[in-house]
Amino acid sequence: MTLHLDDDELVACVACGLCLPHCPTYRVTGLEIASPRGRIAAMRSVQYDDAPIDAAFVGAMEECVQCRGCEAACPSGVAFGHLMEETRAVLHDTPGARPRLGQRAVEWLGYRIVLPNRVLLRMLTWLIWLAQRLGLVPGRFGLPKLAARDLTIRLDSDPDPEAFLFTGCVMDAWQRAVHRSALAVMRSTGARVAPSPNGGATCCGGLHTHSGRLDEARALARRVIASMPGDVDIVVDSAGCGAAMKDYGRLLGTVESEAFSARVSDFSEWVVERGLPELRTTGRSVVIQDPCHLRHVQHAQGPVHQALALAYDISTTADDGLCCGAGGAYAVYQLQLAAAIRTRKAEAIRNASPMATATVLVASANPGCAMHLGAVAGLDVRHPAELIEEALP
Amino acid sequence: MCFPRSTEEVAAAVRIAALHDRAFVVRGSGTGLAGGATPLADPLVIVMTQMNRILDIDPVEQVAWVEPGVLNLDLSRAVAPLGLHYAPDPSSQHACSIGGNVATNAGGPHCLASGVTSAHVRALEVVLADGSIADLGGLIPDAPGYDLRGVFVGSEGTMGIATAIAVHLTSNPPAVRTLLLDFTSVEAAAAAVSGIIASGILPAALEMMDAQITRAVEDFVGAGFPRDAAAVLLVELDGLPAGVAADVAAVERVGLAEGARTVRVAADDTERELLWKGRKSAFGAIARIAPDYYLHDAVVPRSRLVEVLHRVYEIAAEQRLTVMNVFHAGDGNLHPLIVFDAREPGIWPRVHDAGDAILRACVDAGGVLSGEHGIGIEKRDFMPLIFNPDDLDAQAKVRDSFDPSGRANPDKVLPAGSRCGEAQRIPEGAWI
Repeated sequence: MTLHLDDDELVACVACGLCLPHCPTYRVTGLEIASPRGRIAAMRSVQYDDAPIDAAFVGAMEECVQCRGCEAACPSGVAFGHLMEETRAVLHDTPGARPRLGQRAVEWLGYRIVLPNRVLLRMLTWLIWLAQRLGLVPGRFGLPKLAARDLTIRLDSDPDPEAFLFTGCVMDAWQRAVHRSALAVMRSTGARVAPSPNGGATCCGGLHTHSGRLDEARALARRVIASMPGDVDIVVDSAGCGAAMKDYGRLLGTVESEAFSARVSDFSEWVVERGLPELRTTGRSVVIQDPCHLRHVQHAQGPVHQALALAYDISTTADDGLCCGAGGAYAVYQLQLAAAIRTRKAEAIRNASPMATATVLVASANPGCAMHLGAVAGLDVRHPAELIEEALP
Repeated sequence: MCFPRSTEEVAAAVRIAALHDRAFVVRGSGTGLAGGATPLADPLVIVMTQMNRILDIDPVEQVAWVEPGVLNLDLSRAVAPLGLHYAPDPSSQHACSIGGNVATNAGGPHCLASGVTSAHVRALEVVLADGSIADLGGLIPDAPGYDLRGVFVGSEGTMGIATAIAVHLTSNPPAVRTLLLDFTSVEAAAAAVSGIIASGILPAALEMMDAQITRAVEDFVGAGFPRDAAAVLLVELDGLPAGVAADVAAVERVGLAEGARTVRVAADDTERELLWKGRKSAFGAIARIAPDYYLHDAVVPRSRLVEVLHRVYEIAAEQRLTVMNVFHAGDGNLHPLIVFDAREPGIWPRVHDAGDAILRACVDAGGVLSGEHGIGIEKRDFMPLIFNPDDLDAQAKVRDSFDPSGRANPDKVLPAGSRCGEAQRIPEGAWI
């Protein structure tokens, strides 16, 4: 059995262990197999020593949040995220490693049918809204409370836009208020902006890449690229989607996809680069949570801090940006681990807050993190775009 | 393998091992560089990662009781709001545990002035090999009687398992300055090191990097290290502001007198941190050159630094290997790094032979086998180079008095045949 991993990438790890404290699952379990070093050792034993791809191996791989905090800590520059994506892709295509039929059917529906389909996603969203109104959705599902007022928000387009705001799939359905704020802040820089053009650009495929569904991810990436031709800037207010779209060049390996990736910026990156108007000082404190895919993957957390510092008293967590446990669909699959990681993160956030207030205001540039952390009592998690909009003159 | 959560569970695990006459090996974060925690044969592995609570912090007495799995940097971060830190700072301080630091008597750049781990451990609660629990040392320094705490620190798991550790916390210095001096020869840099210490200054840290590693680090971090220097010194001075200012002037004077090309004093904390990032990511910079490295750890008298360094270069050239040097110059602790690709056929014997020759050269110059990484299995069979049979027998007797059963991490630290009457065995060569 082999994982077909790149030999140079797989041998790059010298097993020094510097990644361990930066791995959220190692932090909450203390288990070597729940650490990047342990996972690489497991990959090596499959690739080089004929170890079987059994339930223990599959479990160890699936427990990884894919936050890539280990990459930021790795002195040897091990491309752990890529190794894990490739491993997941092999697991996805290995009959014995697949989940049971029921789960596969649900995944197929979710990844193949719902996420790429804007209309269906919106219809489902309204169904969830209705179910929530009828009290049919248990709180432990961790879904945000949907409000009809937010679901009906219209996003206005300026003529001849200089930048598109990528609206995506789940965010487009559930977090239109964030998009509206992002567009307002982008306009405040003096730019003409518009939501990404209808139709094609729905799901970025990031979640697909993470779960090893590389063919589907590539198809979605091609669709997103085709929907936004030309050279207009592409602004993304979801750190996870932004990271995926900046990686299209590598995913598809074409000149066109590389050119597309070069046009992509995170929301805060773009507005700081364009120049924000003078913001009002709010006098409020905010703890900034750096989403992993902004900090460890895009390396673009700086502008969030810069922008918010103009209007807020900002503070940061003292955990080197340790993951919150959201990880896209991770929080759904790994309920216990995700909750344990979140508890730790919530504590770091409370410790970072300069005042012992009942509710701590938190800024998170990723919708997945915001939903995951938002379920913790006492944390009011907002997108930087919303906080900046409140401070616009 | 087991993951105890309390002293009682550790004692129970050790008793079960005794019942089945099984050896046991204690393991922390697994960042050790001498193989002390590597299981040999088939022992019970007792992993301390889940005993990771800070039990008590006393800011007045400047003592913290911690469980062994607490990470070194986590402790410093936890006490930072009190203006305190835990002084020993191995380069792996993000990841290594206090328990592992105690086992290896770990050092770090800032141990020049403040001493290595043993100087910062006041008391220990330990589980001995028969499952009994003993308290060693005390919170009051210099307790009467034998210093068993001092014996236990650095025993690499061969005398039992520390389950609670009282460490000394150090006050953050009121002022810190970091200087970068660059030289056109390693001789001049080494002379400056001796000159600085002879002038009566004891820097908080005094680090040297040679030409190759300086270039590699600069490519990696871009901190402005001179690419054409034969050697650079990183000097950190701390204390009261006026004293630090005087020391900065003195170091500058000595440096220039010994032929320093430039002396750069970091203007602020950002610049200071960038310089340290360069030093501390040295191993990272190297790992990008080749996938494998063999990091050595030997101490030589400061007066012989230059001579040993040249010998190290010669040895590497003889074996056609790349070697780079980064070291704690203030205390003569060398870290020659051999970088290689293990996939290259026939490379292992050359790496082993070079490592062997480097160690012997250090010992010939009056040095010792290890500055801070420990002996483990890596250097076990080199122990006879610096200890005669009587010395080794005395050490074996101390070990046996803690663990008569020989089940605590056997076959580490002391080579076979250490005890009088044991058959001498031919060393099998260095372990990596």
